[in-house]
Amino acid sequence: MKKDKKGQLASQNLLAWSLLLPSFIILGIFVFYPMVKTFILSMQLTDLMGNPIKFIGFKNFLNLFNSDSFGTSFTVTLIFVFFSTTLTLIMSYLMAVLASQKMKGIALFRTMFSSTMGVSVTVASILWLFMFNPQIGLFSKILTLLHLPQINFLSDQTWSLIAIIGTTVWMNLGFSFLILLGAIQAIPQDLYQVADLDGASWWMRLRKITIPSTSATIFFVTVVTLINAFQTFGQVDILTSGGPDYHTNLLVYAIYQDAFVNHSVGRASAQSVILTIIIMIFTMLQFYVKNKKGAKNAN
Amino acid sequence: MFKNFAKYTVLTTIGIGALLPLTQVHAAETKRQNIVFWHSMTGQNQQAIERIVNEFNASQTKYKVTPEFQGQYVEALPKFLSVGGTSKAPDLFQSNEISTKQLSTSGMIEPMQTLIKKYKYNTKDLRKNILNYYTINGKLYSMPFNSSAPVLYYNKDAFKDAGIDDLPTNPTYEQVTEAAKKLKEKTGSAKLSILPYGWTFEELLANQNQTLVNNGNGRKKTATEATFNNKAGKNILNWIKTNATAGTLVDFGTGANAGDSEVSAFTSGQIDMFMNSSASLGNIKKNAKFNVGVTYLPHPEGTKANGVVIGGASIWLSKGKSTKVQKGAFEFLKFATSAKEQAQWSIDTGYFAVNNKSYDTKLLKDAFKETPILAAPVNQLKATKINAASAGALITAMSKERVNTQNAMENVINGKDVDSELSKAAKQTTTDIKEANEQTGE
Repeated sequence: MKKDKKGQLASQNLLAWSLLLPSFIILGIFVFYPMVKTFILSMQLTDLMGNPIKFIGFKNFLNLFNSDSFGTSFTVTLIFVFFSTTLTLIMSYLMAVLASQKMKGIALFRTMFSSTMGVSVTVASILWLFMFNPQIGLFSKILTLLHLPQINFLSDQTWSLIAIIGTTVWMNLGFSFLILLGAIQAIPQDLYQVADLDGASWWMRLRKITIPSTSATIFFVTVVTLINAFQTFGQVDILTSGGPDYHTNLLVYAIYQDAFVNHSVGRASAQSVILTIIIMIFTMLQFYVKNKKGAKNAN
Repeated sequence: MFKNFAKYTVLTTIGIGALLPLTQVHAAETKRQNIVFWHSMTGQNQQAIERIVNEFNASQTKYKVTPEFQGQYVEALPKFLSVGGTSKAPDLFQSNEISTKQLSTSGMIEPMQTLIKKYKYNTKDLRKNILNYYTINGKLYSMPFNSSAPVLYYNKDAFKDAGIDDLPTNPTYEQVTEAAKKLKEKTGSAKLSILPYGWTFEELLANQNQTLVNNGNGRKKTATEATFNNKAGKNILNWIKTNATAGTLVDFGTGANAGDSEVSAFTSGQIDMFMNSSASLGNIKKNAKFNVGVTYLPHPEGTKANGVVIGGASIWLSKGKSTKVQKGAFEFLKFATSAKEQAQWSIDTGYFAVNNKSYDTKLLKDAFKETPILAAPVNQLKATKINAASAGALITAMSKERVNTQNAMENVINGKDVDSELSKAAKQTTTDIKEANEQTGE
C-alpha cells in the first residue's frame, strides 16, 4: 500500500517535470543563457567580433559611470520613461472614459481612438518625421501661422526629447485605450445607478467607482507601458539617431550603437545589465505597491 | 512493424526515383562554381550592381556569382564579422570605407594583393587616389568598386532669381556664406544646409590638408590620438556658427533619414545649397526640376583646397576559400572594375568610375557632354593632392569619431562655443581610439 503511494507520487513528479520541460528548455535557450552570457560579457574586454579577450572586472561599468554620454543617456531615459508612461496612462484613460459613454456613433470614435494600434513603429515614426520637418512640417506651418519663432524639433536638445515622447505617447494610446475601455465597460451598471440615486457628481463617480474598479487593469497597462518605454528603439533611430549630443540616446538605443555599430560588446553588455536591474527594481516596486493595495482592499 | 516493411521499401524507391532528375538539375548547376557576393546596394544602385553580375554570368560558363543583399553597410558588417572565417562566410563582401581598418585586422579576409600577385594583375589602370585609400603598408586589401566624394550642390535657377552669380568651380566658405545671405534676403528663409554629420567634418578637414588622427592619419602606424583640435577644425565649426547666427542655415538634425530629407528638400526647392556625396548625383539629376550646379567642396579663404577623401565602398575577399573560388572571385572583380563596366556603373549611379580607361570610353564621354555636371566630381578628384590628409583616416573607432564630431557640429548650430566643443570632440575621440586599440590588441 505504502509502496503504491510512493510510486504514484514519483510518476506524478515525472509528469510534472515532463510538462515543465519544454518551457524550461525554451526559456533556458532564449532567456537564461543570453542573460548569463550578457552578465559574463559585461566583465570582459571584447574584440571586434564580440569574443571575450580578458577579464577586466567592473571596468566596463566604471568607464560607463565616468562617461558623459552614459550619464546623459541614463537621465534622458528616466525622463522619457516617466513622461511617456504617465501621459499615455492619463490620456488613454480619459479617452476610454469618454468613449465608454452610450451615444449614437460612439463606435466610430472608439475605432478612431484605437487606430494607432494598427500603425507600426517605423510608419508612425516616419509620419511624425514629416510633421517635425523644419520647413514643410505641420508644426512648422502652425508656428508660422501663429507668428511664433520656428522650433527645430529634432535638433534642439530639449525639444527633441519632447518630440520623441510625443511620438511614443501617440503610438501607445491605441493599445492602452482599448484595454482600459474593456475594463471600464465591465464595471456593473448598478453601481452607477446607486450613485445616481445618491446624486454623486461625474467627478465623484470617476474617483469612487470607475478608477477603483479598474485598478487592476491600470496596473497592468502601467507595467506594460513602462517596460515598453524602457525598450524604445525605432522612434529614436528614425527621428534623431540618439542626437543631438546624446539627448535622445535612450538606453536600448545606446546598447545597440555600442554592440553593433561601435563593436564594443563588453560595454554594451554592461549597459544591458544596468538596464535589467533598473527594470527589475521598477517591476518589483510596482508589485509591492499592488500587493499592499490588494491587502488593504481585502481588509 | 515488419509487415509494412515491403510497403515502405516500395514507397521509398518510388520517392527516390521521382526526385532523381532533380539532383541532375542541381548537378548541372553546380558544375559552375558558385560565388556568393554580399552587397549593400539599394534601389537604382541595386539594379546597377545586378546588371554587372548578370553580364558576368552570361559572359562565361565556369563561374556563377550570386548577389545577396544583406542590409546597409552598418547592418551587413556585423553579419560578416559573425560568420567570417567559417564556411558560411560569403566569398565576396562589399563594405564601406570606414570599415577598412576593422576588416583588414579581423583575420577573416584575404588581402587583394595576394591575388594580384598570384594572377599577375596590373592595377595601373585603377585610379591612384582610390587605390591609396585601400592600401595599407603597401598592400592593397580590397578591390575599389563604388567610390564617391562629397561635392556642393546648388540651385542655379534660385541663384539667378536672387541676382547672384553662379558659384566658382572651387568656392570658399565666404562665397557660400555670401550667397546664403543673399538668398535669405531675397526669399526670407534659410536656404543653406550643412548636415551635422561626421563624414562632412572629415572631408572639410581633409580639404584643408589636415589629418584627422596622428601617425600619418593612422597609415604609418596605428593612430593613438585625434589631431583635429586646431585651426582647420575651428574654421569648419566657425563657418557653421556664422551661418547659424545669420539665420541662413537649415538644420535637418541627426536622424537616420536626415540625409534623405536634405536631398528631397533640395530637389523640391526648399533649400538651395548643400553638401553631399557625388553618389547622390544620379538621383538629384533625375528629380530636380531646375538647373543643378555642382562645385568642389568649399574651403576657407586663404587656404588652398587640398581635395577630398574617397568615400563609398570596396569589395573584400574572405579568407580560407578554395583556389577555384578565389580564381572565380578575382575574375569577377576584374570584370566589375573593367573600363566598360565602370563607365556604365558610373552613369547608372553617380559613383566614380574607378578605372582610368573608363574616361576614354565613348559611353562616358557622351554622358559628360550631355550632362556636364557629371564631370565636376571627377575633376575634383583629379585635382586632389595625394597626401596623408586626402588618403583618409584609418582607425577602428571611426564610427565613434563620427558621432563625436557630429555632436560638436550640432551643438555649435545650437549656439554652443566652438573652441570647447571642438576640444571636447577631440578628447573623446582620443579616448575612443585608445579603447579600440585595446580591443584589437594594438
